[in-house]
Amino acid sequence: MNLDLRLDTQGDFYSQRFQPTEREDTLVLNMGPQHPSTHGVLRILLEIDGEYIIRAEPVLGYIHRMHEKMAEVMSYPQYLPNPGRTDYLHALAWNWAHVAAVERLMGIEVPERAEYIRVITCELNRISSHLLWWGAILLDLGAFTPIMYAFDDRERIQDIMQRNTGSRLTYCYYRFGGVSADIDDKFIEDTRAECARLKDRAKMFKDLVTDNFILRKRLEEIGEIPVDTCRKYGATGPVLRGSGQAYDVRRAEPYSIYDRFDFNIPVYDSCDSMGRYLVRMDEIQESIKIIEQALDTLPEGDYILPKAPKRPKPPAGDVYFAVEGARGKIGMHLVSDGGKSPYRLKLRAPGFSNLSLFSEVAQGTLISDAIAILASLDLVIPEIDR
Amino acid sequence: MIEAIPTQFIIIFVGLLAIMAFVGLNAVVLVYLERKVAGFIHRRPGPYEVGPPCFPHGILQPIADGLKLVGKQIFTPKGADSFLFWLAPMISIAPAIVCFIVIPFGPKLQIINTNVGLILILAFTGINVLALCLAGWASQNKYGLIGAARDISQGVAYEIPLLLVVLSVVFMTGTFNLFDIADGQGAWPWQWYIVYQPLAFVLFFICALAETNRNPFDLPEAESELTAGFHTEYSGMAFACFFLAEYAYMVVAACIMAILFLGGFQGPGAPGIWWFLAKVYVLLLIMIWIRWTFPRVRFDQLLNICWKWLIPLAVLNLLITLAVIAL
Amino acid sequence: MAQENQTLTHAYADISYDEPIIDHAPVQKILNICRAMSLWPMTFGLACCAIEMMGFGMARFDSARFGAEVFRPSPRQSDLMIVAGTVNKKLSPLVTMLYEQMPSPKWVIAMGNCAISGGPFVYKNQYGIVEGVDRIIPVDVYVPGCPPRPEGLLEGLFQVQKKITGRRWWPVPETATKSEQW
Repeated sequence: MNLDLRLDTQGDFYSQRFQPTEREDTLVLNMGPQHPSTHGVLRILLEIDGEYIIRAEPVLGYIHRMHEKMAEVMSYPQYLPNPGRTDYLHALAWNWAHVAAVERLMGIEVPERAEYIRVITCELNRISSHLLWWGAILLDLGAFTPIMYAFDDRERIQDIMQRNTGSRLTYCYYRFGGVSADIDDKFIEDTRAECARLKDRAKMFKDLVTDNFILRKRLEEIGEIPVDTCRKYGATGPVLRGSGQAYDVRRAEPYSIYDRFDFNIPVYDSCDSMGRYLVRMDEIQESIKIIEQALDTLPEGDYILPKAPKRPKPPAGDVYFAVEGARGKIGMHLVSDGGKSPYRLKLRAPGFSNLSLFSEVAQGTLISDAIAILASLDLVIPEIDR
Repeated sequence: MIEAIPTQFIIIFVGLLAIMAFVGLNAVVLVYLERKVAGFIHRRPGPYEVGPPCFPHGILQPIADGLKLVGKQIFTPKGADSFLFWLAPMISIAPAIVCFIVIPFGPKLQIINTNVGLILILAFTGINVLALCLAGWASQNKYGLIGAARDISQGVAYEIPLLLVVLSVVFMTGTFNLFDIADGQGAWPWQWYIVYQPLAFVLFFICALAETNRNPFDLPEAESELTAGFHTEYSGMAFACFFLAEYAYMVVAACIMAILFLGGFQGPGAPGIWWFLAKVYVLLLIMIWIRWTFPRVRFDQLLNICWKWLIPLAVLNLLITLAVIAL
Repeated sequence: MAQENQTLTHAYADISYDEPIIDHAPVQKILNICRAMSLWPMTFGLACCAIEMMGFGMARFDSARFGAEVFRPSPRQSDLMIVAGTVNKKLSPLVTMLYEQMPSPKWVIAMGNCAISGGPFVYKNQYGIVEGVDRIIPVDVYVPGCPPRPEGLLEGLFQVQKKITGRRWWPVPETATKSEQW
């Protein structure tokens, strides 16, 4: 609906750069930044022949919020709420990556109980992120009802989470050396009830949506991403696992206490949108398994290191910490010069790599397919732009 | 002689006014119904609070929406062909109203009883394709253009099985007169044509969904793909006209289905308009139910369904019908 | 949330439209009530607040109850623009363009701290963001929070309705007592 949509205008910098084509019978369509299926302000320039896409080029930067620069001017505790706002759907994974990078550099040992609380809350957050994605992909495919059902469960999880994190969406719960508040019996009780409920709902989701004839036709054999393409662009998370490679940071380089839990890494070899869909649906169940195991073995103890530094000053050096987010591998590369704020903080956003392969995959597909592919990549635009 | 012609005109004039009221009222009821059914499916109340306490459950919501749309600014976008731009909503809504002239609402409630009623309806509903095409073309909008292109290929493709299905019923009855078709069926459900032509009913229902651009075939206005498709650039009342036309065509489709397959105004006990409206609204409810349940099909799949499945099945149905009649 | 916005009670008088065709007080009054009861928001999510804006339309909070049900993706058909998130300098011409594409009468809610003032992304010598969406388009109602809860956005909707019609339509929610809070 924007900028160079009129046939008679010349467009802005990006569309002018995109314009010169060899063929004359094509149309340059500008999808976004305000478009219902770009999930935010992603803008995609498409050259289309009829309904078929010849070229696709994402244009980024419409929600660039200077996260990396802010890390350099703010002290460590001041920067704490920011990672949660990069990827607001899986805020705790980013929060975790930031906190753990500092902890690793300073050599802080996190108490046992705090690690368990982190795992439980992070997995709950992953479920709520996947639920929202599930609703959103179906919204993009034209079915409006599933997002209502997804939000039904999501709201329950948010209620559980806000009890000890204090917020509904952009959580800032982890602190250097632990978490900000302990969990109580009501939290455990509610979480167990919600896990049982989600197991029940999974059957309904499958009957209502996953087995739907039209949905299968819309997703199967659409947007096939070979594993080589994934490697070339550095795609991680469900996109890579949907292409047949069982790479999960929780298993490949176990951080925290993930090596203590018994869970599967769902992998599908079909490489198509349906593979990515099924990976995420299975991951919800795997997260439930992890949460239940963690609740069963939750130890007593401190929820935060009593001697945890309020204003950390890590020694000079650099450290990299990776966390498995809902969208893939989240990485934080922290370079410290010993001051009260980092010298440099590099955020590795999985969405950026996952989006990069879009322009290759979208070639030759229909507009409707391109939207299905885009939705199956599960993009969060502020995370891509940072 | 001089007296006779004006009487006919007066009947048509009064009839048209009544139909306009009926179409308007239907749209209001359907908008409310659609939202309430959607709310029921989504497990939420839907429109609830709007209106004074004497009108509970948000009954006044569609009226507020309608009046708001009347009060909106309307304008022609830059670069648009203003004549065609404003012609499109009008030729979208006008044929829909004409269609109702020949529909027998009850044993004595029909404005014109004509031999070619069914042909008239099929001809006038075809104009909607042109209206949507003009709307998409004239608004100088790329999404509108794609929406228009989709609408033409969809509308043209689905006319064929629709006509073939109608033809098989017409061969059974030997008439295009809607009143005679309805009158020829008995009062009880096993005397209706749906028993003899179950396949034709299913095919007609699918085609009707596609012709009225309802989910899962709502490709011309596919919200998540083309923002709002052919009516992306329309605001206020012009947009409302398209909405009104969509609901009017839904009612027309449901009316034809009720007449051809479900016995029209016939029913156990006394035949009358109540039976007719009840059947029409059951069909409309099913349409709404489908809309809120299924995802949208893709464009090539839509055409494949038509050319690979519906048309061969419709031809088969026609041949079987002819064979049975000939025997 | 429960408190009335003091400035609003004086501000609703200066709503400006294009010159109306029928300028008749009772007609305008009825039209205004209809406008207030059917505010169609535009699907224009920017950042974190967009998720809470979705929550605002979903089953639990259900904005459909108050007539704000139909999220229109096209600005031509929407009445209410909810600026849900950070507006940066690259995006700001587009926000202006979208606002201009909406037909009058139209209203704007600045949702969240980013849209109000730049929120957590303001620091000395920042280079990227617009510090408050009211620098580029007129804003009717500000809903603070980072992100605001859907209840907060509902209250913002009520305030827009109040601004249009001059009266508050729904009862003011009671503040929870200390024992009910958790």
